Parts: sequence; C-alpha cells; structure tokens
Amino acid sequence: MHFVIIGNSAAGVAAVETLRRPGGGASEITVVAGEPETAYSRCLLPDVLAGRRAEASIRLRPADFYRRLGVTLFSGVRAVELQPGEKKVLLKDGRELTYDRLLLATGAAAVRPELPGVRADGVFVLRTMADARALSAVARRVTAAVVAGGGLVGLKAALALKLAGVAGVTVVVASPRLLIRQLDERAAAMVEGELKEFGVQFIYNAGVKEFITGTGGRASGWRQDGGRFSPGEHLSGHGPDGGRELPAGCLSGVVLDDSRELPAGLAVVAKGVRPETELAARAGGRVGRGIKVDEYLCTSLPDVFAAGDCIEVTDRLTGQPVNSALWTLAFEQGRFAAANMLGQRRAYPAPLTRLNSARFGAVDVISVGRLDGPEVFTLDDPLSRTYRRLVFDGDRLAGFILAGRVDGAGVYTALVKSGRPVKQHIRALLGGRTGEVAVSGLMAR
Amino acid sequence: MPKQVLIRFERCVGCRSCQLACAVAHSEAKSLYGAVLNGEKPRARVFVHQAGEHKAPLNCRHCQDAPCIDACIAGAMHRKADDTVTNIGGEQYCTACWMCVMVCPYGAVRSDAAGTMAVKCDRECKDDQGVPACVRACPTGALVYAEVDAYSAGRRQGVLLQALGGV
Ligand SMILES: Cc1cc2nc3c(=O)[nH]c(=O)nc-3n(C[C@H](O)[C@H](O)[C@H](O)COP(=O)(O)OP(=O)(O)OC[C@H]3O[C@@H](n4cnc5c(N)ncnc54)[C@H](O)[C@@H]3O)c2cc1C
Ligand code: SF4
Ligand code: SF4
Repeated sequence: MHFVIIGNSAAGVAAVETLRRPGGGASEITVVAGEPETAYSRCLLPDVLAGRRAEASIRLRPADFYRRLGVTLFSGVRAVELQPGEKKVLLKDGRELTYDRLLLATGAAAVRPELPGVRADGVFVLRTMADARALSAVARRVTAAVVAGGGLVGLKAALALKLAGVAGVTVVVASPRLLIRQLDERAAAMVEGELKEFGVQFIYNAGVKEFITGTGGRASGWRQDGGRFSPGEHLSGHGPDGGRELPAGCLSGVVLDDSRELPAGLAVVAKGVRPETELAARAGGRVGRGIKVDEYLCTSLPDVFAAGDCIEVTDRLTGQPVNSALWTLAFEQGRFAAANMLGQRRAYPAPLTRLNSARFGAVDVISVGRLDGPEVFTLDDPLSRTYRRLVFDGDRLAGFILAGRVDGAGVYTALVKSGRPVKQHIRALLGGRTGEVAVSGLMAR
Repeated sequence: MPKQVLIRFERCVGCRSCQLACAVAHSEAKSLYGAVLNGEKPRARVFVHQAGEHKAPLNCRHCQDAPCIDACIAGAMHRKADDTVTNIGGEQYCTACWMCVMVCPYGAVRSDAAGTMAVKCDRECKDDQGVPACVRACPTGALVYAEVDAYSAGRRQGVLLQALGGV
C-alpha cells in the first residue's frame, strides 16, 4: 500500500503518526510538502516575528521525524495536478507519484483582497514561515505599521510587530470592536485594554482602500536612523533611507475608506483565509466552503481523502457548512482520515467550529460554541480579572467565553459538545467550579 | 499493558491527601515542610471535587486519542512510550496557549502558578516501587494503580466520557 500525503502541517503530521501506529501495517508513505521547512507550528509564527523564538524552535516534531517513521519527504515542491483515474499526482518538478490512497492536507492560504497597491513591497500576509521571515526583516527598519483586520491573526501580528520594536502599530478594524467573531463586548474590551498597554492603536469601523507607495514622496513610516539604503539587503529589496526618497513600489502608507492617510512602512493584511482546493477541484472533486468530504473524510474522488483547513465541515451546533480553519480540527481530522485510509472506518463526528484559545499579554481568552442565544449569563469580577459568559439554549450549554482565568475550560467545552442538560449547575458553572459539575455527571450514572 | 490510576469513587472521603501529596511530589523540595520553607507554590495535578454528597478525585485519564495532543499548537503535548500523556520532556516546550486546557473534558490541565506553562499529571512522582504519589497517599484505597485489560479500560473511559458528555 502506498499512501501519499500532500501538505505537512497539522493534518499531514497527524496522519503520518496515525498511519505509523502499531497495527498500521507495513506501508509506503510519501509526503509532498509545498514549503521547504520541516513541519512547524503555524500558530507560533507571531512569536518568530516578535523575535521571541528562533525559527528552528517552532518545529512541530524532531528533525529525524520522517526518517524515524520511514517516510519519504519531498519538501519545497508543490503538487500541481491530481489524476484520480490513474491514481497519480504530478509534482511541480516533473516527478510523478502513483498512490493507492491519497490525503489532501493542503490547508489554506491567506486572502489578499484586490486593492490598489496590495502587491507593493511592504504589504504582507502572515501565514507561512517565509512570510514571518520577510516581515521580521522589514519590521526592524520601519517606524510605523498598519494591520488590516481585527481578528485573531491580525491582533497577534500587531502585538508581535510592537514587540519586534515597531514604534507605531495601528490596527484597522472593519467592525465596531475587536474579535467580533470570537468575543463579546466585555471580553473584547479586556483584550483591547491589554493591547493598548503595549501601545497598539485601533481605528474601528474602517477599512483600507488603498496601499500607497513612495514614488516621489518622502519616506514615511521608515526609520530615519536606518543608515544607508542598501538595495537587496533583505527579501523585499528595499530599505529606509534617511531623508532620501523611497524607491518606487515601496509602501509609504495606507488610505482608509474615509480617505484618511496613515503613514506605514509595512502593512499586514489579515483578512482571513481561503482553503487550498484547486487540486481536488481541477480533478473534478466537489468543493463548497472547502473540499467536500463524507463522514469518513473521503472526498468525492475515489481513494482521495482530505483533512484540515482545506475541507468543509458541518458545524456541530448550527448544522451549517463551514470551512474548518482550526489547528485542533486539522490535527484530529488528520488522525481520522488516516484511520480511514487504513480501512478502519472511523466516522468523524461533526466538530465545534468555534474553538479558540488565545493569549494577549496577560489576558487569556477562550471562546467556544455559540456567542449568543436565548439565555445568557455572565460573571464579571474585575478584581480577579475574571470574566465568564455562558450561553444557554434551554437546559443545554451552547457556548461560552472565558477571559482572565481559564482553568477548567475543557469541562465547558465537553458540555457544549455533548449537550448534556446542565442548567441546574448554572451557579457552579458561572463560579468556575467545573470539577463539581464534572463529578456530578459521573455520579449521576 | 500500561498501568492506569483508577478511581473508586465510592471510597473517597474528600480528605485531599492525594492532592497534597501530588503538589509536594512536584515541588523542588519534595517535602511539605521544605516546600513551605522555600516559599514554593507547587501545584497539584489531581483535584478533589464535591458534588452534593459525593466527593471524588479527578485527574488526567491519559486518554487514548487524547484531545489535548490534538489541540497543542506547539507540539509540546505528547505520549510517552509508557503511555503517559505529558507536555514536558518532549521536543517542544509549552507556550502557555491553553489549547489543552480548552479541550480536556476533565479539567485535568491547569496553568502553573506564574501562568507560564500548563501543568498536568505527568507521573513524574512515582516512588521506588513505581507507585504514584496520589495513590500512595490515599488512606482509603480510592485510588488504585493497576493494569486494566482493554475491555475494562474501554468501559472505564466510556463511563467517564459519556458522563461528561464525550470528547
Ligand atoms: C498566525 C496564525 C495564528 C494561528 N493561531 C491559531 C490558533 O491559535 N488556534 C487555531 O486553532 N488555529 C490557529 N491558526 C490556524 C492554524 O494554523 C491552521 O488551522 C492549521 O495550520 C491548519 O493546518 P493544516 O494542516 O490543515 O494546513 P496548513 O497549516 O495550512 O498547511 C498546509 C500545508 O500544505 C502545503 N500545500 C498546500 N498546497 C500544496 C500543494 N499543492 N502541494 C504541496 N504542498 C501544498 C502548504 O504549503 C502548507 O505547508 C493560526 C494561523 C496563523 C497563520
Ligand atoms: S489532560 Fe485531559 S485530554 Fe489530555 S490525556 Fe489527560 S484527561 Fe485526556
Ligand atoms: S498550554 Fe502548553 S501543552 Fe497546552 S496546548 Fe499550549 S503549548 Fe501545548
């Protein structure tokens, strides 16, 4: 049996480990990795940008991982075509691989809205190690940066830029507050407060209309003490230049919807992701908000499975089709897909698709399930910096937000998943006495 | 067959001996007196809870398909050869992102006192006979360290998981 896996991030790595579990049988495994780096923790890229972590330190598995597990790795090469009839995958370098079962773990790519100037030097996204590396190089040389997007990635990028030493970091947020898809007003305010402590600034109800480049104008947003301009010194090929003019094509600022101009030597566009579905789509596979899969994570193409950010899943609570787009889900799907590739027939249960934990400075936030519902209970204790919001639908916990203290969060998550009636425990849940609720569940049996 | 810490709920009297022993075993000083003297704030990884008249210790079940391993964005949480699920001693170190805290259905992972890393049962507490500190400390035999056959392991997990609503 020859298993081929395209993509070596969360889903790909989980699949490899599962295929190599005891009982997995002797099989050949080939992994095709578009990025040249060995698998790394994508979510920790902001730490690399902030200068808190070296690139090698966010490696997901030991360096000898593939060798130890007997996996053939083609790294830094993309698969360009899938021929499901012939069971073949063609690689960019001309190689051809024949598979018995294939896993598409191609993930997602950052969206770059088609705005004027979006391709200028100095306009970035933050999705890959290469992005983080390029951003770090420029961040050292600018005084002002703009981040477009007040979601998780945008805010992590903004804080990282600040920690990397950029003096002015402004986040342009389309909605009236931060993290509109993850948090309520109170929790968002806690995050905002913490980020402001770090010196990050915010502009709400606004969007970027255009990225402007330094043609003719004086450099703005660039360090004036940055020494001599040396072309090619870093990846984007431009640099700060005391009083001299910036070369054409180099970002000098952004224009907002209301025509306000903000100086910026670099901008990060954090406007969400787009699932990588082309291989499947061009081969005739069904695609919705990601590659469509059945409950065994098999695509509409025979012997082609898919897992991770590239697939569409059905939200456990709403029943709506959504793009997967979470590390935890990518990892567990990689496990399930691999089990099914081994013929173990393991149905993947509909997941919760709001399942976020993030830390901004000293503020921890966890958000799971529904943000709103028929009944909402909150507890706000500024003294202990604890905030809890519980959303009930009848007797069931349908979602929650924790900010500040997050211990025991997993008990709430399990309750949201199971739908066990727990209204009678509302006081314990609001008070954070999750162990009590867990034990009462055990005893009830 | 790897051993597990099994809980006989009906025997627990809620004395918290296990909790204390766990904290001490995870202190630098390895003794209650020493830990207090050092001003340490060791954290227990087993917690005794009370629900109505019932008292029960809860700790990590070292789950088969551990959700905390799936969730760990750093690759720190891993399974050791002896089946222990832990976030220390592996390739990566913990970044305190609390993804594991978010998904553990038993609330068995918590932050350390300083909020710099997640702590959980790591079985780094076994005495020279290989018995974990919590089991050793329990005066009523509510905690047992034993091998479980696949069937009863499945059943035990099943009971716990269903009760809590599944993972
Ligand atoms: C800054 C940042 C912070 C994040 N924080 C969180 C967080 O806190 N919590 C959370 O749940 N999620 C977070 N995420 C999202 C998380 O990283 C993703 O959900 C996760 O990485 C998805 O894993 P995956 O394996 O599906 O795909 P990806 O990680 O997207 O990897 C897919 C891989 O496949 C490769 N590939 C694609 N097409 C091909 C091809 N044709 N041939 C060869 N290779 C190909 C790509 O190059 C890539 O390396 C964050 C993401 C970012 C960028
Ligand atoms: S910490 Fe929780 S999720 Fe992880 S193995 Fe232990 S019981 Fe399972
Ligand atoms: S808190 Fe530590 S062990 Fe837990 S998921 Fe984050 S990095 Fe992994």
